[in-house]
Amino acid sequence: MDFQTFRQFVADEAAKLHIEEYELYYQLEESTSVSVFRHEVNRFSDSGEGGVCLRCLINGKMGYASTQLLSEESARALVRRAADNASVLESSEPEFLVEAGQSYQTAAVSTSPIPAADVLRKTALAGQDALYAQSGVVDGSRTEAFAEHIHIAIHNSRGLDLRYENTVSGAFLAAVVSNGEEKANSFKSCLGALEQLDLAGTAKEAADTARATLGAGIAPTGAMPVVFSPKAMSQLLGTYAGVFSAENVQKGLSLLKDKEGETIAAPSVTLVDDPFYKDSAMPIPFDGEGSPTRCKKVIENGVLNTLLYNLSTAAAAGKATTGNASKSSYDSKVGIRPFTMYLEKGELTQEQLLEKAQNGVLIDSLGGLHAGANTISGDFSLQSSGFLIEKGKKAAPVRSFTVAGNFFSLLRGIAAVADDPQPPTSPSFTAFVSPSVLVEGLTIAGK
Amino acid sequence: MISKEICERVLQKASSTGADYAELFAENTLNHAVNLVGGKVDSVHDSQIAGAAVRVFLGLRSVMATTVDTTESGLLRCAQRAAEALAEGKAEISISLRERLFGDIHPIRIVPASVANADKAALLKDACSAASEYDAAVVQVTGTLLDVDRRILVATSEGLWTQDRQIRTRMMVSAVAEVNGETQTGGCRPGARTGMELFERVDPRAIGREAARQAVTMAGAGYCPAGVMPVAIGNGFGGVIFHEACGHSLEATGVAYGNSQFCDKLGQKIAHEKVTAIDDGTIPNDWGSINIDDEGTPARRNVLIEKGVLKTYMIDKFNGRRMGMASTGSARRQDFSFVPTSRMTNTFLAPGSDKEEDIIASIEYGLYAKEMGGGSVNPVTGEFNFAVNEGYIIRGGKVCEPVRGASLVGKGSDVIQKIDMVSDNLLCGQGMCGSSSGSIPTNVGQPLIRVSSITVGGR
Repeated sequence: MDFQTFRQFVADEAAKLHIEEYELYYQLEESTSVSVFRHEVNRFSDSGEGGVCLRCLINGKMGYASTQLLSEESARALVRRAADNASVLESSEPEFLVEAGQSYQTAAVSTSPIPAADVLRKTALAGQDALYAQSGVVDGSRTEAFAEHIHIAIHNSRGLDLRYENTVSGAFLAAVVSNGEEKANSFKSCLGALEQLDLAGTAKEAADTARATLGAGIAPTGAMPVVFSPKAMSQLLGTYAGVFSAENVQKGLSLLKDKEGETIAAPSVTLVDDPFYKDSAMPIPFDGEGSPTRCKKVIENGVLNTLLYNLSTAAAAGKATTGNASKSSYDSKVGIRPFTMYLEKGELTQEQLLEKAQNGVLIDSLGGLHAGANTISGDFSLQSSGFLIEKGKKAAPVRSFTVAGNFFSLLRGIAAVADDPQPPTSPSFTAFVSPSVLVEGLTIAGK
Repeated sequence: MISKEICERVLQKASSTGADYAELFAENTLNHAVNLVGGKVDSVHDSQIAGAAVRVFLGLRSVMATTVDTTESGLLRCAQRAAEALAEGKAEISISLRERLFGDIHPIRIVPASVANADKAALLKDACSAASEYDAAVVQVTGTLLDVDRRILVATSEGLWTQDRQIRTRMMVSAVAEVNGETQTGGCRPGARTGMELFERVDPRAIGREAARQAVTMAGAGYCPAGVMPVAIGNGFGGVIFHEACGHSLEATGVAYGNSQFCDKLGQKIAHEKVTAIDDGTIPNDWGSINIDDEGTPARRNVLIEKGVLKTYMIDKFNGRRMGMASTGSARRQDFSFVPTSRMTNTFLAPGSDKEEDIIASIEYGLYAKEMGGGSVNPVTGEFNFAVNEGYIIRGGKVCEPVRGASLVGKGSDVIQKIDMVSDNLLCGQGMCGSSSGSIPTNVGQPLIRVSSITVGGR
């Protein structure tokens, strides 16, 4: 059964139960991927997945129910389940459906179909060749070519009828390198039309990164200046992005309560959220509840300009939505998330940051962010790998050490921001981008 | 769900280009969760996952196609896509399926869907109010009562046709406490492969109190010092150290491709002789338990390491082909849209003969990691990390002041040789484990252990 037919059965059942306000959110993701190991295709996957989420607004409460099964019976059950779920809700936040007739910006999306399996296969094999052309690369290295077509539709009882389609493709290159004594690994993705991917450059970057960590020592223990690489800093921003969510603030789960308009970061920090970011693979003109999206400065020169809002949290705060309503999956509750959130670049090079740091650690990558970072208190203690900084220069590699601090103090302790942001490489609506940053006052635990 | 006859036709279509193995996996799952914030029902998550995946193998190649259209024509189209992607040949094979029942070793009494939202909310409110009332320092409490009712069907070209129903229930309470302007969190998250009868043996109020106790204790704590030191790791969720440091590196997911520090080590001593580690999917009603895995292989008790010697890996059918080894009943997937691979079930360190008090007394200066958080590992290098949710300094063989913000990092092959004391009080904790086949329920467990030296990340 297609979505349009299913939609009619939902409308009939809603009318029967006198439910006048509701929204249907439909998402379908078709994806194909080819994975290569030892120059042979070892996995091929062709998937079609998605579903429908119904939200019913009954007596001011928003009840949800979702299904992947599109049939008359499941349409009727869906309405009854959503209504039943609404009846038990007690939160006092105001709930809304989006009005039709608003104006939306245009996003640069691709409507081309998913490339043929053969094109994916050739890309994955070429990626594998590119990896093995790098010195030190051994078996265990893996290449994947992927393409995904996403289709979203939001339809509500107020006449809203939005559609979004986009196709993204790219390759994922995982390099395993060995020096005969030990192994190290690193991966790198690239996005774009399959025929135009820079596989050689991507393979070089993955292999170089892995090889640089071979023979890594252990960092010393103590407080020292830390330079975060673009990757490490974007990982940290991604982990703590939830602190800018008005929902978390209103629920007492973010320390940024009552901080709008106040200085929360060093003057060099300007943090922007842009749904139409130039290098984003998934620019989108409407958010998870159908409001128009727009670019906004979350932190400007150290001052918290705005939190991120959806309709409900904006109304509770007496503000307008920032168009940041999110659906992390078709079946999830409307929450809040940024689109491409990036730290505006500064004027120094990474080398100049190292020069400023003199002696310390350059952190290239962080691990265990879901566990070692507390998003409420801001405290973190994270597994790291990178390089020593000695006399202002990048020196020997180090790994299996931790960096500990507090995200809110870190924002204030950013001493310099470099000019080297890297484009996002994940095919998702949310991405984090940062240049290298120099931070004072963190603790390294190694030997 | 899907009749034997339809499955036969789908598998025949899937094998029509020469596959040497074909499999149909179908699923119909209800995910339900009631969420409480600040004492009020904030949301109800209610989602039906329904779809199917067709997998075909030819030698060391595998193809999977998935669909949400589980009508016969939808399944046949899905099988056609898989067959075409696998090979160009033409093969006529006849498949005749026979039903097999592997029995249900995880009896359920109260099916969660039979309990009204309001009754679930009442249980959760009990837990959350116990957390709020625990101490004036508790400033926010959130809670979730979730249940999963998963029905799966597996049919294979080897003639297997079987079904299983997997019901799980879990309550999770998080508390935020503020002491002198310092905010910290605490949590308690018990679950089981049972229905709502879970709450006949687990008191919701005890869950709330435990979350609050941890938050209040940690809010008053100073920062953990950094450095290399001996660490005593508490029982229960402390078992996450073995899960991360060693468990993932024993999965065929990495081992089959040479991407594990434990490749080619079967029969060799890889850990301290006090270490015996087991992955057991057959423990009745435990959180990570299964009747059959997601390839239809019955669950097993796999002794991974016995007295320090590596005995087996955890293996699924496809990766087993590359390794030349049979499945150990370890294939798992979050849902039909994920390619299944070898994963853990209930993984724990077997109890030893040391006494808890002797372990603490043996440490002159170190850390007592009473409650652990999550972690992660890079199986290629074995480098792991995990968070300490509740830690205390040990000084002169005695547990002293609480410390916060600690994490432990190291390399799996090193740390399992440094587990040199193992006590006798085995306990398991519940978690969700993430890997290439998605997020699945797993138990981690251990008695209190001593790691003679490990890097403690603090400040």
